[in-house]
Amino acid sequence: MEDSKLDNFIICKKCHTLHRKIKLHHGTKALCQQCNTLLYRHHQNFIDRLLALSLVEFIALIIAFSFTIIKININGIYRGLDFSSIFYTIFHNHYYIVGIIVLFFIFIFPIVILLSLILALILMKLKRFKYLVKRLLILIAKLSHWSMIDIFLLSILVAMVKLFDYAQLEFSVAFIALILVILLDIFTLKRVSFSDMWEEYENIYRKSDSKR
Amino acid sequence: MICGKSMRIYTENQIVKDSLIRCPICEAINIDNGGEIVCRRCKEKIHDYKSISFHKTVAFLITAMILYIPANLYPILLTKKFGVVHENTILGGIMHLWEAGSYPVALIILFASVFVPILKFIFIIYLLVSTKYSLKSSKVDRHKLFYITEVIGSWSMVDVFVVAILSVLIHFSIVEIIPGRGATAFALMVFFTMLSAISFDIRLIKERY
Ligand SMILES: [Zn+2]
Ligand SMILES: [Zn+2]
Repeated sequence: MEDSKLDNFIICKKCHTLHRKIKLHHGTKALCQQCNTLLYRHHQNFIDRLLALSLVEFIALIIAFSFTIIKININGIYRGLDFSSIFYTIFHNHYYIVGIIVLFFIFIFPIVILLSLILALILMKLKRFKYLVKRLLILIAKLSHWSMIDIFLLSILVAMVKLFDYAQLEFSVAFIALILVILLDIFTLKRVSFSDMWEEYENIYRKSDSKR
Repeated sequence: MICGKSMRIYTENQIVKDSLIRCPICEAINIDNGGEIVCRRCKEKIHDYKSISFHKTVAFLITAMILYIPANLYPILLTKKFGVVHENTILGGIMHLWEAGSYPVALIILFASVFVPILKFIFIIYLLVSTKYSLKSSKVDRHKLFYITEVIGSWSMVDVFVVAILSVLIHFSIVEIIPGRGATAFALMVFFTMLSAISFDIRLIKERY
């Protein structure tokens, strides 16, 4: 079977049922017949929208990384939690393996994924650097398993419950930024499947290739 | 058929289902030749030879299962109060929370730190066993099981993150929390279980009747 024929099909990521693709009307989406998982949807201004959301998410992520997340007050003594203090404490206690794993899972991978996404979208808008865009999309797909910023937010909530009885807690700006990051992350990932992104990639560069 | 704003598309029966495979990176459909596959769209290697990925999965899984023991036996955090050190294991911490009446959090940690790793071990072992013997479960169910295994993979890191957060916040002259040796074993265990799930070859999930 040739590639063009294979492109008419899509396999559900959850149950691996094979589907034949059909053209969607405006504002509709295709769901898996077996398990109702989203297969793909009709997009309008796909790249622009995603780029706008990613840029907002990037700003929120920078805020979340730079400022205090929560503050506790025990008998008038304040202590704040921010990202650098987490890594400092772990490395200071000589837990290098934990430190490296945590550093990658909640700091390096999220920021690399987001920067790659923004760069890939900008390049796709410019319709240039096909190879680089491909490498970036592959990198995003490979790293997406390992970004745990959402689990980190859950951990903050768990830690807060543990401290509730002993200390007064205050949310700071980075906490709100962190929630915004997670919400945008869920929103972009839910709306956009990787197959949509790759299809857009193929459409853009096929056109520009034929022009040359 | 249009239902609300969404539209369903139907399964294609005319083509041989088992010979087509989804690229986990770009989601393109590829033809399965049984051996090593390179994706036609993203040109990345989709799968090793089945025997290689089988052994990789087993090796990572065994490593993770061995690490599960020190992760639970060693203290995950130490509390220093007036110079006296208390050691807390994961189960100890859960019981402490339960006694203090924080039932939801105790349940979250019990689920994320104790049950999720065990569930993942069982799921992966089940999937590996089902490739060798015919078991009475549908291919669709096993694919869903694998999907769940991948999704819940990172949840077990909650405890490691909580320890890191607490050791930052509770750092006073009278009381201090520091990470324990169990944290290293625990973080590595999560890492290896995730590797094990990622290296599992979905082509091993086959219908056998
Ligand atoms: Zn499905
Ligand atoms: Zn691919």
